[in-house]
Amino acid sequence: MRTTFDIDELVNDLQPVRRLHIWQPVALTALMTMIAVFSIASVYGLRADIMAGHMHPMAMLRAGVLLLLGVATMLATIATARPAVGRNSTGWRWALAMAALFPMTALVLAVIETPVSLEALHMTLGMYCLRISFISALLIGGTLTLWLRQGAPTSLTQAGWLTGLAAGSFGTFAFSLHCPETGIYYIGLWYSLSVALSALIGRLLVPPLIRW
Amino acid sequence: MIANDNSLSRLMALAQDGDQSAYRTVLSECQIWLARYFARRICPTLVDDLVQETLMSLHRKRSSYDPARPFLPWLAAIARYRWVDQLRRSYRANETELDDTLSVDPTGNAVIAQISIERMLAFLPPGQATALQLVKIEGLTTAEASQRCGQSEPLIKVNVHRGLKKLAAMVEKE
Repeated sequence: MRTTFDIDELVNDLQPVRRLHIWQPVALTALMTMIAVFSIASVYGLRADIMAGHMHPMAMLRAGVLLLLGVATMLATIATARPAVGRNSTGWRWALAMAALFPMTALVLAVIETPVSLEALHMTLGMYCLRISFISALLIGGTLTLWLRQGAPTSLTQAGWLTGLAAGSFGTFAFSLHCPETGIYYIGLWYSLSVALSALIGRLLVPPLIRW
Repeated sequence: MIANDNSLSRLMALAQDGDQSAYRTVLSECQIWLARYFARRICPTLVDDLVQETLMSLHRKRSSYDPARPFLPWLAAIARYRWVDQLRRSYRANETELDDTLSVDPTGNAVIAQISIERMLAFLPPGQATALQLVKIEGLTTAEASQRCGQSEPLIKVNVHRGLKKLAAMVEKE
């Protein structure tokens, strides 16, 4: 055990630092989301109704919910970088509960309207949705994680979940602007799966990367 | 004398801009504050190491402090994080004596009481808090802790494991 600690060592090592600002990760996440949207739009194209300027109500609703969930979880993720006892950022849970209305509605309808045909789930398109959303989420989540490493998150598990949720929401949002399907079963299953998988991957991969 | 939160906040803002004199004061004050903060919540022989580790964390993560916010809750979050990390590591069972001279009354100051380690432990179920106190803070073996509190040895292990997991999740909880 060391009994003396030389404060001068730390003092001599002192260099001016740039304080962490909220706009840095917000701008980075927005930029990565835009890159994902432009990439998807240029490779696969946007939905026909968006191109025509008459967006389908369901497409607009899901995009709005995904954006809101993404913003809420991104801000909560950013908040973890500047720790403080007594800090309370649980607002994102309401956004998550709101987004959960999609799979819950699908589930309730599935119970009422049994049996649900497999065609309504569009398995092939669903896998395609997962793949593209996941690649987008990886780009966004990776950027957010790199920024988070500069901070001092004290709850690594929560930071992991939140990073994954934010990345999954924005990644799925990017895909939703291309996705031709608007059925509630499809959205309830595949969009939820996409966000949930991203959150799980964030939970598993992010904590070891931001430990300090 | 320990500087108040406003002074520390102002000094830390200067330190972030590279003011060595302000930084020396911040570190000296934090060193005293942390020694009191950790008193009776870690084996006395480990307090110096824990204070040192926390100061080094403060140094590495100083950009995460926002001068518009209070300083001590930020320092306490880093201190709690390092404390939980320290509890995870086992240490020798004979390092068990607690140093009463360093004890600080958490009820003496409302702000300190809100960010204290005691407050964190109070959120744990009694069984987990007892197991952690005996095994990780007082340094007893599982068998000794079992004899002391009446929990079975497997239950002590489970409670320590679950307690540490909960503590890690509530570092910022007031």
